[in-house]
Amino acid sequence: MSLTANTLKPGVFAHHLSGRGKNKRFRRGMLSSLMLTPMVDMFSLLVIFLLQAFSASPELLVMMKGVTLPSAITGKEIKDAPVIAVAPTGIFLDQKEVGPTEQVLKDPTELLKRLHDLRKQWLMGHSGESFSGEITLQAHKEIPSTTISQLMGILPSAHYGSIQLAVISGG
Amino acid sequence: MASAGPMPSSGGRRSLDAEINLVPFIDLLSVCICFLLMTAVWTQISTVQVKQSHGTEAGEAGEYELNVQFSNAQTVALELKKKGRAYKKASFKADDFKALLGSMDGQITTWLAPLVKDPAAPSPVTAAMVTPKADVTYGDLVSTMDVLRKHQIVNLGVVPVAEGK
Repeated sequence: MSLTANTLKPGVFAHHLSGRGKNKRFRRGMLSSLMLTPMVDMFSLLVIFLLQAFSASPELLVMMKGVTLPSAITGKEIKDAPVIAVAPTGIFLDQKEVGPTEQVLKDPTELLKRLHDLRKQWLMGHSGESFSGEITLQAHKEIPSTTISQLMGILPSAHYGSIQLAVISGG
Repeated sequence: MASAGPMPSSGGRRSLDAEINLVPFIDLLSVCICFLLMTAVWTQISTVQVKQSHGTEAGEAGEYELNVQFSNAQTVALELKKKGRAYKKASFKADDFKALLGSMDGQITTWLAPLVKDPAAPSPVTAAMVTPKADVTYGDLVSTMDVLRKHQIVNLGVVPVAEGK
Protein backbone atom coordinates (compact mmCIF):
# COMPACT_ATOMS: atom_id res chain seq x y z
CA MET A 1 0.00 0.00 0.00
CA SER A 2 1.42 3.41 -0.92
CA LEU A 3 1.05 6.38 1.37
CA THR A 4 -0.21 9.56 -0.16
CA ALA A 5 -1.13 12.90 1.33
CA ASN A 6 -4.77 11.91 1.04
CA THR A 7 -4.22 8.67 2.95
CA LEU A 8 -2.71 10.54 5.87
CA LYS A 9 -5.54 13.01 6.29
CA PRO A 10 -6.77 12.73 9.90
CA GLY A 11 -10.24 11.41 9.14
CA VAL A 12 -9.15 8.97 6.43
CA PHE A 13 -6.24 7.62 8.46
CA ALA A 14 -8.37 7.05 11.57
CA HIS A 15 -11.00 5.39 9.44
CA HIS A 16 -8.38 3.13 7.94
CA LEU A 17 -6.88 2.24 11.32
CA SER A 18 -10.21 1.52 12.91
CA GLY A 19 -10.82 -1.07 10.21
CA ARG A 20 -14.10 0.26 8.98
CA GLY A 21 -12.81 0.56 5.45
CA LYS A 22 -13.75 -1.68 2.63
CA ASN A 23 -10.54 -3.70 2.85
CA LYS A 24 -11.50 -6.90 4.63
CA ARG A 25 -7.90 -7.67 5.60
CA PHE A 26 -8.20 -5.04 8.33
CA ARG A 27 -11.26 -6.39 10.02
CA ARG A 28 -9.76 -5.96 13.49
CA GLY A 29 -9.28 -2.31 14.16
CA MET A 30 -5.83 -1.00 14.94
CA LEU A 31 -7.28 1.80 17.00
CA SER A 32 -8.52 0.65 20.36
CA SER A 33 -9.63 2.58 23.38
CA LEU A 34 -7.34 2.68 26.39
CA MET A 35 -8.75 0.77 29.33
CA LEU A 36 -8.17 3.26 32.10
CA THR A 37 -9.26 1.18 35.09
CA PRO A 38 -6.73 -1.70 34.67
CA MET A 39 -4.04 0.81 33.72
CA VAL A 40 -4.56 2.85 36.88
CA ASP A 41 -4.70 -0.40 38.89
CA MET A 42 -1.39 -1.51 37.39
CA PHE A 43 0.22 1.88 38.01
CA SER A 44 -0.95 1.86 41.61
CA LEU A 45 0.42 -1.64 42.16
CA LEU A 46 3.74 -0.62 40.63
CA VAL A 47 3.95 2.43 42.89
CA ILE A 48 3.17 0.32 45.97
CA PHE A 49 5.78 -2.30 45.02
CA LEU A 50 8.45 0.32 44.30
CA LEU A 51 7.65 2.20 47.50
CA GLN A 52 8.17 -1.01 49.46
CA ALA A 53 11.52 -1.60 47.73
CA PHE A 54 12.51 2.02 48.32
CA SER A 55 15.02 2.44 51.06
CA ALA A 56 15.25 5.75 52.86
CA SER A 57 18.24 4.65 54.93
CA PRO A 58 21.58 6.17 53.99
CA GLU A 59 23.95 4.13 51.89
CA LEU A 60 26.43 2.59 54.31
CA LEU A 61 28.81 1.23 51.71
CA VAL A 62 30.25 3.11 48.79
CA MET A 63 31.47 0.73 46.12
CA MET A 64 35.10 1.26 45.16
CA LYS A 65 36.04 1.37 41.51
CA GLY A 66 37.18 -2.01 40.19
CA VAL A 67 35.72 -3.96 43.11
CA THR A 68 33.27 -6.77 42.41
CA LEU A 69 31.91 -8.21 45.62
CA PRO A 70 31.45 -11.97 46.10
CA SER A 71 27.93 -13.25 46.68
CA ALA A 72 26.58 -15.13 49.69
CA ILE A 73 23.17 -16.41 50.70
CA THR A 74 23.62 -16.16 54.47
CA GLY A 75 24.50 -12.46 54.55
CA LYS A 76 23.14 -10.26 57.31
CA GLU A 77 22.20 -6.62 57.35
CA ILE A 78 25.13 -4.24 57.02
CA LYS A 79 25.99 -2.14 60.08
CA ASP A 80 27.48 1.30 60.24
CA ALA A 81 31.24 0.85 60.68
CA PRO A 82 34.50 2.06 59.12
CA VAL A 83 35.04 0.55 55.66
CA ILE A 84 38.36 -0.90 54.60
CA ALA A 85 38.49 -1.64 50.90
CA VAL A 86 40.98 -3.84 49.05
CA ALA A 87 40.87 -2.76 45.42
CA PRO A 88 43.26 -3.81 42.63
CA THR A 89 44.90 -0.36 43.03
CA GLY A 90 45.53 -0.57 46.77
CA ILE A 91 44.00 -0.42 50.22
CA PHE A 92 41.55 2.34 51.18
CA LEU A 93 40.19 3.23 54.61
CA ASP A 94 36.90 5.13 54.45
CA GLN A 95 37.65 5.95 50.78
CA LYS A 96 41.05 7.46 51.62
CA GLU A 97 44.03 5.66 50.14
CA VAL A 98 46.38 4.03 52.63
CA GLY A 99 48.83 2.62 50.07
CA PRO A 100 49.48 -0.24 47.67
CA THR A 101 48.32 -3.61 49.05
CA GLU A 102 51.75 -5.27 49.19
CA GLN A 103 53.32 -2.28 50.91
CA VAL A 104 50.55 -1.99 53.51
CA LEU A 105 50.73 -5.71 54.32
CA LYS A 106 54.52 -5.50 54.65
CA ASP A 107 54.44 -2.41 56.86
CA PRO A 108 50.96 -1.80 58.33
CA THR A 109 52.07 1.12 60.56
CA GLU A 110 50.13 3.74 58.59
CA LEU A 111 46.98 1.59 58.49
CA LEU A 112 47.19 0.87 62.21
CA LYS A 113 47.71 4.58 62.97
CA ARG A 114 44.61 5.51 60.99
CA LEU A 115 42.59 2.74 62.63
CA HIS A 116 43.71 3.91 66.09
CA ASP A 117 42.67 7.46 65.16
CA LEU A 118 39.24 6.21 64.05
CA ARG A 119 38.84 4.30 67.30
CA LYS A 120 39.87 7.35 69.32
CA GLN A 121 37.30 9.48 67.47
CA TRP A 122 34.61 6.88 68.09
CA LEU A 123 35.43 6.67 71.82
CA MET A 124 35.33 10.45 72.12
CA GLY A 125 31.91 10.56 70.51
CA HIS A 126 30.50 7.61 72.47
CA SER A 127 31.78 8.09 76.00
CA GLY A 128 30.70 5.36 78.39
CA GLU A 129 29.97 2.86 75.61
CA SER A 130 32.12 -0.17 74.96
CA PHE A 131 33.86 -0.31 71.59
CA SER A 132 32.41 -3.10 69.43
CA GLY A 133 35.44 -3.35 67.15
CA GLU A 134 33.33 -3.69 64.03
CA ILE A 135 34.81 -2.95 60.64
CA THR A 136 33.47 -3.62 57.15
CA LEU A 137 35.85 -5.24 54.69
CA GLN A 138 35.14 -4.72 51.02
CA ALA A 139 37.35 -6.62 48.60
CA HIS A 140 37.40 -7.68 44.97
CA LYS A 141 36.34 -11.32 44.65
CA GLU A 142 39.35 -12.32 42.52
CA ILE A 143 41.95 -11.16 45.07
CA PRO A 144 43.92 -14.07 46.63
CA SER A 145 42.38 -15.13 49.93
CA THR A 146 45.81 -15.02 51.58
CA THR A 147 45.95 -11.23 51.02
CA ILE A 148 42.61 -10.87 52.81
CA SER A 149 43.64 -13.28 55.57
CA GLN A 150 46.81 -11.24 56.21
CA LEU A 151 44.76 -8.05 56.44
CA MET A 152 42.29 -9.78 58.72
CA GLY A 153 45.24 -10.77 60.91
CA ILE A 154 46.33 -7.14 61.19
CA LEU A 155 42.91 -5.66 62.11
CA PRO A 156 42.54 -7.26 65.61
CA SER A 157 45.78 -5.59 66.73
CA ALA A 158 43.98 -2.25 66.26
CA HIS A 159 41.00 -3.60 68.30
CA TYR A 160 38.93 -4.26 65.18
CA GLY A 161 38.23 -7.97 65.71
CA SER A 162 34.66 -8.15 64.43
CA ILE A 163 34.99 -8.04 60.65
CA GLN A 164 31.99 -7.76 58.36
CA LEU A 165 32.79 -9.06 54.88
CA ALA A 166 30.70 -7.10 52.38
CA VAL A 167 28.88 -9.44 50.00
CA ILE A 168 26.05 -9.28 47.51
CA SER A 169 22.94 -11.02 48.79
CA GLY A 170 21.84 -14.07 46.87
CA GLY A 171 23.53 -17.12 45.44
CA MET B 1 -11.07 15.37 29.60
CA ALA B 2 -11.05 11.97 31.26
CA SER B 3 -12.59 11.96 34.68
CA ALA B 4 -14.07 9.42 36.97
CA GLY B 5 -16.88 10.01 39.40
CA PRO B 6 -20.58 9.46 40.06
CA MET B 7 -23.28 11.12 37.98
CA PRO B 8 -24.67 14.33 39.56
CA SER B 9 -27.74 13.77 41.67
CA SER B 10 -31.02 14.80 40.18
CA GLY B 11 -32.48 16.16 43.43
CA GLY B 12 -31.06 19.63 42.84
CA ARG B 13 -28.57 19.43 45.69
CA ARG B 14 -24.84 19.57 45.00
CA SER B 15 -23.33 16.13 45.15
CA LEU B 16 -20.87 15.54 47.99
CA ASP B 17 -18.81 13.18 45.80
CA ALA B 18 -16.03 14.83 43.87
CA GLU B 19 -14.77 13.73 40.51
CA ILE B 20 -11.18 12.62 40.07
CA ASN B 21 -9.42 14.10 37.10
CA LEU B 22 -7.78 11.05 35.63
CA VAL B 23 -5.17 12.78 33.49
CA PRO B 24 -3.28 14.51 36.36
CA PHE B 25 -3.78 11.38 38.45
CA ILE B 26 -2.11 9.21 35.79
CA ASP B 27 0.60 11.87 35.35
CA LEU B 28 1.34 11.78 39.07
CA LEU B 29 1.47 7.98 39.10
CA SER B 30 3.80 7.97 36.10
CA VAL B 31 6.15 10.50 37.73
CA CYS B 32 6.09 8.45 40.96
CA ILE B 33 6.96 5.27 39.03
CA CYS B 34 9.81 6.99 37.16
CA PHE B 35 11.26 8.47 40.36
CA LEU B 36 11.03 5.20 42.28
CA LEU B 37 12.49 3.19 39.40
CA MET B 38 15.45 5.54 39.16
CA THR B 39 16.17 5.65 42.89
CA ALA B 40 15.57 1.95 43.61
CA VAL B 41 18.58 -0.06 44.82
CA TRP B 42 18.55 -3.36 43.00
CA THR B 43 21.72 -4.93 44.42
CA GLN B 44 21.36 -5.68 48.10
CA ILE B 45 24.64 -5.58 49.95
CA SER B 46 24.87 -7.61 53.14
CA THR B 47 27.71 -8.88 55.30
CA VAL B 48 29.21 -12.14 56.51
CA GLN B 49 30.49 -11.75 60.06
CA VAL B 50 33.99 -13.01 60.89
CA LYS B 51 35.41 -12.95 64.38
CA GLN B 52 39.18 -13.15 64.43
CA SER B 53 39.98 -15.13 67.56
CA HIS B 54 43.37 -13.75 68.47
CA GLY B 55 43.48 -10.24 69.86
CA THR B 56 39.81 -10.25 70.84
CA GLU B 57 37.52 -12.07 73.22
CA ALA B 58 35.46 -13.28 70.29
CA GLY B 59 35.57 -16.73 68.82
CA GLU B 60 35.03 -18.70 72.03
CA ALA B 61 35.00 -22.36 71.14
CA GLY B 62 32.27 -24.70 72.35
CA GLU B 63 32.48 -28.47 72.60
CA TYR B 64 33.02 -28.97 68.89
CA GLU B 65 35.15 -26.96 66.52
CA LEU B 66 35.72 -27.34 62.81
CA ASN B 67 38.91 -26.72 60.89
CA VAL B 68 38.78 -26.18 57.14
CA GLN B 69 42.20 -26.24 55.51
CA PHE B 70 42.81 -25.62 51.82
CA SER B 71 45.88 -27.21 50.25
CA ASN B 72 44.98 -25.57 46.94
CA ALA B 73 41.83 -24.55 45.08
CA GLN B 74 41.08 -28.23 44.35
CA THR B 75 41.80 -29.83 47.72
CA VAL B 76 40.30 -29.21 51.14
CA ALA B 77 40.76 -31.03 54.44
CA LEU B 78 38.11 -30.99 57.16
CA GLU B 79 38.79 -31.75 60.79
CA LEU B 80 36.13 -31.86 63.47
CA LYS B 81 37.57 -31.33 66.93
CA LYS B 82 35.89 -32.33 70.17
CA LYS B 83 37.11 -30.44 73.23
CA GLY B 84 40.25 -29.45 71.33
CA ARG B 85 41.11 -32.98 70.19
CA ALA B 86 40.79 -34.42 66.69
CA TYR B 87 37.44 -36.24 66.45
CA LYS B 88 36.77 -36.77 62.73
CA LYS B 89 38.74 -36.07 59.59
CA ALA B 90 38.02 -36.01 55.87
CA SER B 91 39.59 -34.55 52.76
CA PHE B 92 38.15 -33.85 49.33
CA LYS B 93 39.51 -33.22 45.87
CA ALA B 94 37.60 -31.83 42.91
CA ASP B 95 38.51 -29.89 39.78
CA ASP B 96 35.55 -27.57 40.18
CA PHE B 97 35.35 -25.41 43.32
CA LYS B 98 31.56 -25.70 43.45
CA ALA B 99 31.85 -29.49 43.48
CA LEU B 100 34.45 -29.21 46.25
CA LEU B 101 32.06 -27.06 48.30
CA GLY B 102 29.26 -29.54 47.61
CA SER B 103 31.37 -32.42 48.99
CA MET B 104 32.31 -30.33 52.01
CA ASP B 105 28.67 -29.40 52.61
CA GLY B 106 27.60 -33.06 52.42
CA GLN B 107 30.31 -34.15 54.86
CA ILE B 108 29.42 -31.47 57.41
CA THR B 109 25.75 -32.48 57.15
CA THR B 110 26.72 -36.13 57.80
CA TRP B 111 28.87 -35.20 60.79
CA LEU B 112 26.30 -32.87 62.31
CA ALA B 113 23.28 -35.17 61.87
CA PRO B 114 23.99 -37.42 64.92
CA LEU B 115 25.11 -34.44 67.02
CA VAL B 116 21.96 -32.38 66.48
CA LYS B 117 19.21 -33.62 68.80
CA ASP B 118 16.86 -30.70 68.42
CA PRO B 119 16.77 -29.06 64.95
CA ALA B 120 15.61 -25.79 66.52
CA ALA B 121 18.59 -25.69 68.90
CA PRO B 122 21.81 -23.95 67.86
CA SER B 123 24.46 -26.02 66.10
CA PRO B 124 26.76 -28.03 68.43
CA VAL B 125 29.68 -26.84 66.31
CA THR B 126 30.03 -23.23 67.37
CA ALA B 127 33.31 -22.22 65.77
CA ALA B 128 35.21 -22.87 62.57
CA MET B 129 38.62 -21.76 61.38
CA VAL B 130 39.42 -21.54 57.69
CA THR B 131 43.02 -21.74 56.47
CA PRO B 132 43.23 -20.27 52.97
CA LYS B 133 45.82 -20.73 50.20
CA ALA B 134 47.14 -18.27 47.65
CA ASP B 135 45.31 -19.85 44.69
CA VAL B 136 41.98 -19.78 46.53
CA THR B 137 40.32 -16.48 45.69
CA TYR B 138 38.52 -14.25 48.18
CA GLY B 139 35.24 -15.11 46.43
CA ASP B 140 35.90 -18.81 47.07
CA LEU B 141 36.74 -18.06 50.71
CA VAL B 142 33.41 -16.26 51.14
CA SER B 143 31.59 -19.18 49.48
CA THR B 144 33.25 -21.55 51.98
CA MET B 145 32.13 -19.36 54.87
CA ASP B 146 28.67 -19.24 53.37
CA VAL B 147 28.50 -23.06 53.52
CA LEU B 148 29.65 -23.00 57.16
CA ARG B 149 27.10 -20.35 58.10
CA LYS B 150 24.41 -22.41 56.40
CA HIS B 151 25.13 -25.05 59.07
CA GLN B 152 24.64 -22.35 61.75
CA ILE B 153 28.34 -22.20 62.56
CA VAL B 154 28.41 -18.59 63.64
CA ASN B 155 31.92 -17.99 64.97
CA LEU B 156 34.05 -18.00 61.85
CA GLY B 157 37.72 -17.16 61.79
CA VAL B 158 40.39 -16.98 59.11
CA VAL B 159 43.96 -18.05 59.80
CA PRO B 160 46.38 -15.38 58.54
CA VAL B 161 48.53 -17.04 55.87
CA ALA B 162 51.43 -15.23 54.21
CA GLU B 163 51.32 -14.58 50.46
CA GLY B 164 52.47 -17.49 48.31
CA LYS B 165 52.17 -20.09 51.09
